[in-house]
Amino acid sequence: MKEAPFPDSLVAPGHGACAGCGCILAMRHALEALGKKVVVSMATGCMEVVTTPYPETAWRVPWIHVAFENAAAVASGVSAALKSLGRKGVKSVAIAGDGGTADIGLQALSGMVERGDDVLYICYDNEGYMNCLSTSSLIITKDGLKKITEVKEGDEVYAFDKKTHRPVLKRCVGVFNNGNADIFEIETLHHTIRATPNHPFLVLKRNGRGKENQLVWKTLCMLRPGDQVVTLKNLDGGKSFKFDFKQVQRGDYKVTHLNEVSLPKSSGPALMKYLGIWVGDGWVRSERGEVGFAIPNGSDERENLVKLHSALFGIKVRTDDMYVYVNSVNIARFIDSLGFGSGAKNKTIPAWVFTLPKKEKEAFVDGLMLSDGYKKGNSSRYVSASYELLRRFRLLLQTMGYRVGKIHQQKKRKGEKCVYRKLLKDATYGYICFSKRKRWNLEKYQSQYKYQNFLAGNNHFEMEKIRKIKLIGREPTLDLRVEDEHNFIADGMVVHNTGAQRSGLTPFGAWTTTTPIGKVKRGEDRPKKNLPAIIAAHGAPYVATASVAYPGDYMNKLKKAAAIEGPTYVHVLAPCTPGWRIENSKTIEVSRLAVLTGFWVLYEIENGKLNVTFKPPKRRPVVDYLKMQGRFKHLTDAEIAEIQRMVDEQCKRLGIE
Amino acid sequence: MKQNLMGDEAAAIAAKLARVKVISAYPITPQTIIVERLSEFVANGELDAEFIKVESEHSALSACVGATATGARTFTATSSQGLMLMSEILFVASGMRLPIVMVNANRALSAPLSIWCDWGDSMAVRDCGWVQLYCENNQEILDTTIQAFRIAESLSLPVMVCFDGFILSHTTEPVDVPKQREVDEFLPPYKPRYALDPKKPVTMGPMGVPEYYEEFKCMQQEAMRAAKEKIVKVGNEFGKKFGRRYKLIERYNSDDADVILLTMGSLSSSVKELIDRYRARGEKVGLVKVRSFRPFPVRELIDALGHAKAVAVLEKDISLGSAGALFIDTAATFINVEKSPLMLDFICGLGGRDVEALQIKEAIRGAARAAESGEVRKAVRWLGLREKLVGLRV
Repeated sequence: MKEAPFPDSLVAPGHGACAGCGCILAMRHALEALGKKVVVSMATGCMEVVTTPYPETAWRVPWIHVAFENAAAVASGVSAALKSLGRKGVKSVAIAGDGGTADIGLQALSGMVERGDDVLYICYDNEGYMNCLSTSSLIITKDGLKKITEVKEGDEVYAFDKKTHRPVLKRCVGVFNNGNADIFEIETLHHTIRATPNHPFLVLKRNGRGKENQLVWKTLCMLRPGDQVVTLKNLDGGKSFKFDFKQVQRGDYKVTHLNEVSLPKSSGPALMKYLGIWVGDGWVRSERGEVGFAIPNGSDERENLVKLHSALFGIKVRTDDMYVYVNSVNIARFIDSLGFGSGAKNKTIPAWVFTLPKKEKEAFVDGLMLSDGYKKGNSSRYVSASYELLRRFRLLLQTMGYRVGKIHQQKKRKGEKCVYRKLLKDATYGYICFSKRKRWNLEKYQSQYKYQNFLAGNNHFEMEKIRKIKLIGREPTLDLRVEDEHNFIADGMVVHNTGAQRSGLTPFGAWTTTTPIGKVKRGEDRPKKNLPAIIAAHGAPYVATASVAYPGDYMNKLKKAAAIEGPTYVHVLAPCTPGWRIENSKTIEVSRLAVLTGFWVLYEIENGKLNVTFKPPKRRPVVDYLKMQGRFKHLTDAEIAEIQRMVDEQCKRLGIE
Repeated sequence: MKQNLMGDEAAAIAAKLARVKVISAYPITPQTIIVERLSEFVANGELDAEFIKVESEHSALSACVGATATGARTFTATSSQGLMLMSEILFVASGMRLPIVMVNANRALSAPLSIWCDWGDSMAVRDCGWVQLYCENNQEILDTTIQAFRIAESLSLPVMVCFDGFILSHTTEPVDVPKQREVDEFLPPYKPRYALDPKKPVTMGPMGVPEYYEEFKCMQQEAMRAAKEKIVKVGNEFGKKFGRRYKLIERYNSDDADVILLTMGSLSSSVKELIDRYRARGEKVGLVKVRSFRPFPVRELIDALGHAKAVAVLEKDISLGSAGALFIDTAATFINVEKSPLMLDFICGLGGRDVEALQIKEAIRGAARAAESGEVRKAVRWLGLREKLVGLRV
């Protein structure tokens, strides 16, 4: 992540928060204000989930997560231990969302404040708790295959055109992080996908003899094994990929020796086949400027590789019995830059390979098969130690119209043969089997095939029977909002985009999935619980509200709170772009409007004395804030007026015009 | 030095001798005396520790987790409903491999509400990954609690020391209290493997995706297996230093017995008393007392019980819908063993009911009859039940 704007932040970049997430901003600013000498106790929630997927962590300070309702209690324990061990200058900080504070976490927080424990408690308030697709899902976009966490607003993703039954490119208008939820896994013959129980899928509805069958949306919880869902069979068209690689010149820093070589400017069948061989059997040492291949002498593979190499690069290769070496700084760095990864367990297929024309994809598959693949009867098999590689290869084959089976596991002992060489140590490999599809004779057996597969004859999609639906567990979830078609293709299946739940801090009138807009009830019907007032009433020496749009004010308050020995509380309003239904780029604007309209007032209460730290010069009408958010778009004028009245009352109480 | 101590007091003194640094406990009958004594020690300066007056047991154990993770030796105590309230965190503490020591004064679970002794509370959480050690008398409470810190800290596993509420917690017995200097030699200060320290930041309690979760549990199970050796090793060392040696189980006149009683806790004392009388008459009856319920001493029980004709398990708990927990685990122990005794389960003493000599004799008779006839007609029986009240013959 060389281009990350804050590479040295104590909350390291590379975590799974959405682009535009207000909460992660609140975290970064907090640690910037508090520094390294802290111990953070965090409750289960968005921030905990996106920052600590084992074995990775974003936290560069000591950090502990225990459960949902007890951040304050854990922090109290940390504080007591720090005191008993004489560790002066280290602050115990508790961090939880609005749920882990106002609802299930209120008891522990109350106890902490009542006891007077030396803890700084930060509540990041995104006014609810949020759901969707597991963050491991792969989405097919215009730029190729991407992890759902990498998809941004404005990207074009492939969707299913309900009228023509063809794949179309549609713009993604929002990416939503919906926190942890129960995840189920649906398995068909060729595809697997993970999603939450309320996620809709496009399934076949049989309307009986003589009537037309149709495609309808059904949520996962209503699906049964045997139901047929729309899946992707083939996605062709595509252009050669243009590379953007800057070659090293003689005379560049530390370059004394240089083999002149011309690198290809865009992809082609020869290069793709070469890369296919490289993924299976190659490695790169870019500091040494070496590319190597573990291909024994006399094999078909070596013949192919050497031929391709001379055609592509022209320079000589060095060979011995087991290996082929290429000494070229440029080729080494070029291959490194393409995104195939390194190490047997970590190789992968980068997104751009999915955008290539069919011929180049076929060449790539040929290359892969030459290295780690073999034919067994009619089917081809590919073996690899990298699960991610197998997963993506499977999806690539599916976009080429192949029939691919599940990823199988295979354990091999040291000395056993794998493909055609002996293993150096015990290993676990995965493999997939694939074959070309048989063409159905649609003219001869039209009605039968049509019955069997609703989309028979469709070059791109087909119906597949669900074989298994099982509960995986709780996972972080993400969703995409796609214009017009409101569906997109994830993990090869056509899925719908969706929605979020209320907490005690959800404001009056807001839409959430547990306070939906219906005929009888319209959105959240209770006002926001006044947490700062509750904590102040406990007698805490310092309580403050803050906003991510006013980072200076927020950080000053944190520094002030941290310096006090005793229980202190800072409540920061931090928008959630999917939950509030706003565009990812509008986080700060919306946060600022919350303050400028008086909806959220920035103040501090020091030993019972109230001090408003920011008074909006000319308070704007609250509708300016509400109309920016999709979760309020259902409000009638009367409802907006009611909210305005509540805001006016609040401002009067706090001494703002 | 011998002092007259209640079981609760013995536990409090053990925590004091272990020089715990953070105590986070919530009062509940019959553990309240532990909390009271410890707050006295801290208030008087006799114990240099932080006492967090938590507002619930859930917060009590949560605070312990935070404190232990930071690197301080921590201690807590609870019972029954309190143990149930903190049960979520029990699993978290063991999953995070934190060496917290907790004493649990065994008390029956609501409903109906009861403050009296049975093992239902600790049995309800037998899967939580904590080492569970049961104490027969107040001396064992003190000794086991001190050993618990050694066991926990060397294995990175939390340890639960269980003893009968009221029967031991509120009964005064002479207890030999070791000197602070001797305990310091036996139990050095806590040196954590990992701690929450800004000098060397670590992340504790991450999310375990399916690619990793199973391995974590396997490692916990492996630690439980290693705990068996560790408990014996620490018990031996304790014996060398203080003269009282401890193991996973204790055999009492069982090596040549045809009928063996199997039980835990204070009930063992009553059983031993009866066995002496039987032996005086020439009848070959014996007792095997289980000290370590988790990890379950599979090997040791096979050795100790294998030769017997019949084993009568006496326990103060029942896994509703199945049988008593001790019976279930013991039966499973012998499932693939060729030479195994007939087994009977006797549920007794629930909700604090006295287990009288007559009841224990009934159990011995039942086992003897099974040994003689070679069959067991009813494996699970209730002792001391007022059958007229329930209208059943159980």
